Amino acid sequence: MIRKLIQVEFLKSKRKGFWLLVFLGGFGVVALQMVNYGVRKEYLLQQSDNDWIYYLMNISNFTPLALVLGIAILTSFMTSIENETNAWKQLIALPVSKLTVYLAKFTVLAFMLLVASLLLTLFTYGYGVFLDLGAIPYGALLKYSFYPFFASLPILALQLWIATVSNNQAIPITTGVIGVLPSFSAQNLPDWLIWKWPSLMNSWNEPIYYVWLGLGVGCLLYFVGMFDFARRDVK
Amino acid sequence: MLAILRSEIFKFRKANIWALIFVGPVIAIFAGLVDSGELPVNSWVYTVLMMNLVYAVLFLPLITGVFASIVCRYEHQAGGWKQLLALPVTKGRVFLAKYLLLVSLVFLMQLLYLGAIYLVGNMQGFAEPFPLEIIWKSVLGGWIATFPLIALQLWLAIWFKSFAAPFAVNVIFTIPTILALNSEKLAPFYPWAQPYLMMNIGGKVDAMFFVPWDQLLIVVGGSFILFFLGGYFLFNRKAF
Repeated sequence: MIRKLIQVEFLKSKRKGFWLLVFLGGFGVVALQMVNYGVRKEYLLQQSDNDWIYYLMNISNFTPLALVLGIAILTSFMTSIENETNAWKQLIALPVSKLTVYLAKFTVLAFMLLVASLLLTLFTYGYGVFLDLGAIPYGALLKYSFYPFFASLPILALQLWIATVSNNQAIPITTGVIGVLPSFSAQNLPDWLIWKWPSLMNSWNEPIYYVWLGLGVGCLLYFVGMFDFARRDVK
Repeated sequence: MLAILRSEIFKFRKANIWALIFVGPVIAIFAGLVDSGELPVNSWVYTVLMMNLVYAVLFLPLITGVFASIVCRYEHQAGGWKQLLALPVTKGRVFLAKYLLLVSLVFLMQLLYLGAIYLVGNMQGFAEPFPLEIIWKSVLGGWIATFPLIALQLWLAIWFKSFAAPFAVNVIFTIPTILALNSEKLAPFYPWAQPYLMMNIGGKVDAMFFVPWDQLLIVVGGSFILFFLGGYFLFNRKAF
C-alpha cells in the first residue's frame, strides 16, 4: 500500500512546481556564490589558505536558509493539495490508513530534499572545479551537502505536522519564517534549538552529532505528528 | 472606498490571525536580550543594531508576504473573488484597499517594534535616555522600504491560490539580501535590502533617513511604481 501511496503523492505533485523549487534550492545556493566569486574572486581567494574549504564555508552560509525555508514551502505546498480543495475527506475515505498517507507525504518530501542536496553537491563540485581551487576535498564536499539534510529532518517533521493540521497555511509559513532566524544567527543560540542544527555549528565542534540528533529527534517528531494527524478529524 | 477598506479590516480581524503582527516584535525582544554581552559605547545603538539584524534582514521582507497572502485568503476560498467583485466596487479600489490595509498592518508592526526596543532598553536599565528621534527615523524608514515589497507580494498573492507559491518567490528574492548587504556596491540597488538599510541607524544621520534621498527615490520609489502598477493592471485584467 505504501508504494502505491507514494506513487500517488508523486503524481499529485507533478507539474505544480515542486521540482522547479527543488532545483532552485540546490542551484540557488551555488548561484549566490557564482555572483559572490564573480564580483570579487581575487579578494575571496586572499581570505584563506585553503580555497576549497573557504568556498564550502561560503556555500554553507546559505544552505541552512534555503533548507529551512524550502521545507516550509514544500510542506505547505504538499498539504495544500488537500487543504485547498478540502480533499482530505476523499483521500482518507479510500481504503488507506491515515498513518500511511502521512508516511507517504513525509517520504516524498524527504526524497525531494535529498535530491536538492544531491543537486547542491553537483553544482558545488562543478563551480568549484570551474573556479580551479586546487585539490578537491571530497569528504568535506559531501559533509556540507548532506549533513544539513539529516540535521533538518526534525524541522521537516515539525513543519509537516503543523502544515497538515492547520487550516490556515499562514501558520506553517510563519513558523518557517521564525525558524529561519536561528539558522541565520546561529552562534549565540543554545544547541537544543532544532532550527540551529542545519548550520552544523555546535559547542562540541562535531557536526556529525547533528546528523544523529537529526535522525533521532526527526523520528520522534515524525511519530508525534503522525499520531496527532491520525487522531484528528479531517475536513 | 472607505466601505471597502472597512470590509477588508473586518475580514482581517475575523481571520483570527492578527496576532501575527506581534511575532516579529516578540522575537526582537528576545534578540535584544540574548545579545547583551559587554555593552560598548552607546548601549541603545548597539542593542538596536543587534535587534535589527534579526528583525529587518529576513523577517520583515518575509512577513510582508505572509500578510499579503492572508488578506487574499478569503477571496481564494470558494469563489470569493467572484462574490467580492460582483459587488458595486471597482477592481482598482479593491486592490488599493487591500494595499492600504497591508501598509497599515506593517506600520502597526513597526510601532510594536519601536515599543520592543523601548522595553528591552528599560529591562536592561540603560543609563542614556531613549534616543527617540533616531529610532523613530529607523522605524519609519523601514516601513517605507517595505512599500514595494508589499506591492509585489499583493500582486503575487492575488495571482496564486496557494500560500506557498508567493512565499517561494519572496524567499528567492529575500535570501540574496544577505549577500547583497555584504557588498557596498550592490546593497543600495537591491530592493529587498532596503528595509534593513533604512533601519540601519549606523548610516548617515544628517539625512532625513539613513539612506541618501536618491537611493530612496530611485530604488524604493522605482520598484514601488513597477510592482504596484504591475499588480494593479494585471489584477484589472485577470478573470476569476
